[in-house]
Amino acid sequence: MKNLLTFIGLAAIMVLSLFLAVITGDYGPWYFAWLVGTTMVVLISAAGAIMFDRQDEEQQQKQGSIH
Amino acid sequence: MDMLINPTVVELSRLQFALTALYHFLFVPLTLGMTFILATMETVYVITGKQIYKEMTQFWGKLFGINFALGVATGLTMEFEFGTNWSMYSHFVGDIFGTPLAIEGLMAFFMESTFVGVMFFGWERMSRKAHLVVTYLVALGSNLSALWILIANGFMQDPQGGTFDPNTMRMQFSSFIELIFNPDAQAKFVHTSIAGFVTGSMFVMGISAYYMLTNKRKDMALRSFRIATLFGVISSIGVITLGDALGYIDGQKQPTKLAAMEAIWNTDYNTVSASWNLIAIPSRSEQKNIFEVSIPYILTPLLTHSETTVIPGIIQLEQEAKPKIVNGIKAMIALKEYNLDRSNTQALSTFKQYENDMGYGFLAMQFAPDQDLKKINATNLPSVLDKTAKDTIPNVWVEFWAFRLMVAAGFFMLALFAFAAYFSLKNEIEKHPTLLKLAMWSIPLPWVACEFGWITAENGRQPWTVFGWLPTFVSASSHSVGYMVFSLIGFTLLYSSFIAAELYLMFKYARLGPQDDHHGHGHGSAPAGGGMAGQPVFAKPSMDRK
Ligand code: HEM
Repeated sequence: MKNLLTFIGLAAIMVLSLFLAVITGDYGPWYFAWLVGTTMVVLISAAGAIMFDRQDEEQQQKQGSIH
Repeated sequence: MDMLINPTVVELSRLQFALTALYHFLFVPLTLGMTFILATMETVYVITGKQIYKEMTQFWGKLFGINFALGVATGLTMEFEFGTNWSMYSHFVGDIFGTPLAIEGLMAFFMESTFVGVMFFGWERMSRKAHLVVTYLVALGSNLSALWILIANGFMQDPQGGTFDPNTMRMQFSSFIELIFNPDAQAKFVHTSIAGFVTGSMFVMGISAYYMLTNKRKDMALRSFRIATLFGVISSIGVITLGDALGYIDGQKQPTKLAAMEAIWNTDYNTVSASWNLIAIPSRSEQKNIFEVSIPYILTPLLTHSETTVIPGIIQLEQEAKPKIVNGIKAMIALKEYNLDRSNTQALSTFKQYENDMGYGFLAMQFAPDQDLKKINATNLPSVLDKTAKDTIPNVWVEFWAFRLMVAAGFFMLALFAFAAYFSLKNEIEKHPTLLKLAMWSIPLPWVACEFGWITAENGRQPWTVFGWLPTFVSASSHSVGYMVFSLIGFTLLYSSFIAAELYLMFKYARLGPQDDHHGHGHGSAPAGGGMAGQPVFAKPSMDRK
C-alpha cells in the first residue's frame, strides 16, 4: 500500500513537472530556463558539498595511513 | 486632469518611492538567494545524514531570518504607497497592476511567511524529508512572490495584456496570459531572482571566508564556502547572460532606455564599425559625450546580436517622438471632448485614430500653457514639441553609469567566484588568504549591483510610469509639499533604523558565528543565544576538525 502511494505521489509530481515544462517551454522560455537553471545550480552545489566530504575522508585516510 | 500638477510634489513622490524601493531591495535579494542555498544545504543533510549540514542550515537560516523579517516590514509600506502617493497611476492601471500585486501579497504572507515559521520551528516536529519540502517551499514562495511583483513591473516597462477604455478612463485587462508571459517580465524575473542567488552566494562565501581567516568553525566554513562558490559561479554566469537578454528586450521595446544606457547620441548607420562606449561623460545640454573611450566594431553585435541592425541615437529618437506628440495632443483633446459629451462619436473616432500615441499627449501637458492642451497653437507648438521631445529621454548620465557599475560588479564577482570555486574544489582555499580577504570585503558588491540595476531599470523608464502610456508627471497624488516632506523624513528615519537594526544583528550573529554548545544533537528547543526565539540550539559538531 505504501509503495502504491509513493508511486502515485511520484507519478503526480512527474505529470505536474511535464505540464509545467510544456506550458513554460511554449509560452515562457525564460521561466523554463529559470526552472531548469535553479534545479541545476542547487544540484551542482549539493554535489560539490558531497565531493568535499569525500575529499575530506580521503585526506583523513591518507593521514591515518601515514601515522 | 484639469487640476494643475505641482512638479515639486511629483519629484518628492519619486524621491520617496525611489528611497523606499532601494531600501526594500537591500533585504530582498538575500532572501531570494539564501532560501535556495539553505535548501541546498538541507538537501545534502537529507542525502548524507551528516549532522553538520543541519547545523549549517540552521546557522545560515538564523541570519536569513533576521533579514527576512525586515524585508517583509519594508515591503509592506510600499504596497500602500501606490495608493497614497500614486493615486492617478493606481486609478489608471489599477485593474491590471492590482492583480499581480494582490497575488504577490498573498504569496508573501500566506505561502512564504507560513512556511518560514514551519521551517524555523519545525525541525524537531517533522521528518527530515518533510522539513526539506518545507524549506523548498519557502525558497519557491519567496521567488514566486518576487515573480508577481516583477510581472507588475514588466507591465510598466512594456504594457502587454491591457487596453485603454475611454469610458472608464483607465486601462483594463485584455489578457492575463499576455501579462504573465510578457517577455520583459520573464527576463526581469530570471535576472532579478538570479541576482538574488549571486547575493546569497557572496554573503555565505564572504562570511565563511571570515571564519576561515579567524579560525572559527572551519568544518562548517569550508563546506559553506564550497557550496557558496559553486552556487555563485553558476549564478554569476546566469546573471550576466540573462542581463544581456534583458538589455536586448529593452532595446526593442524601450529604444530611449537603450540609447541612454550606452550614451548613443547620434545614429551610426555604419553598423559594422559602430563604436561601443566603454566610458563616457554625457552632456545633456550639448547633446553629446564630452569625453568618451570607445571601442569600434562591437556595438551592433553586443546590443542587437546582429551585424546589421541600426541602433537609433538619442537625437534621432527625439525627432521620431515629435509626430507622436502631435498625434497624442489630438487624442487627448478628443478624449476630453468625448468625456464631456458621451454622444460625441466624432470625438471618439478621432481618439481611436490616435489612441496609441495618447501618452505623448499626456506628456505634452506639462509644457502647454496652464497645462491645457487646448491652449497650444501654431505659435507655441514648436516650443511644446521641442520640450516634450527632449523630455522623452531619461537622464543619460545616471543611466549610463548605473548600468556600467552593475555590469562591472557582475564581471568582478564572476572572476572572484571562479577563482574561489577553483581553489575550493582543489581543497587549497586556506592557502590563499588574500583571496579570502577579497571575498570578505566583496560582500557588499551584489547589493551595489542590485541597487544600480534598479536605477538602470527605473531611471531608464522615465519619463513614464507605464511606458508610452502614462507619464510619471501625471501619475502622482495631489498632496501638499509639506505632507510629502513630512512623510519623506518619516520614511527615511524609519527605514534607516531598520537598516541599522539589520546591520547590528547581522554583524553580531555573524561575528558570533555558529556556536558549540553541550545540549546534545539539536533536540533542545531553548532559544539560541537570544537570537530567533525558539530556534533549536545548534548541536555540537560531529566533525569538528579544529
Ligand atoms: C553583465 C552583467 C549584467 C547585465 C548585462 C545586466 C543587465 C541589466 C539590465 C539591462 C537591466 C535593466 C532592466 C530593465 O530595464 O528593466 C538590469 C536590471 C537589474 N540588474 Fe542587471 N545586469 C548585469 C549584472 C547584474 C548583477 C551582477 C546584478 C546583481 C547581483 C544585477 C541586478 C539587477 C537588478 C536587481 C536589476 C533591476 C531589476 C530588473 O530590471 O531585473 N545585474 N540588469
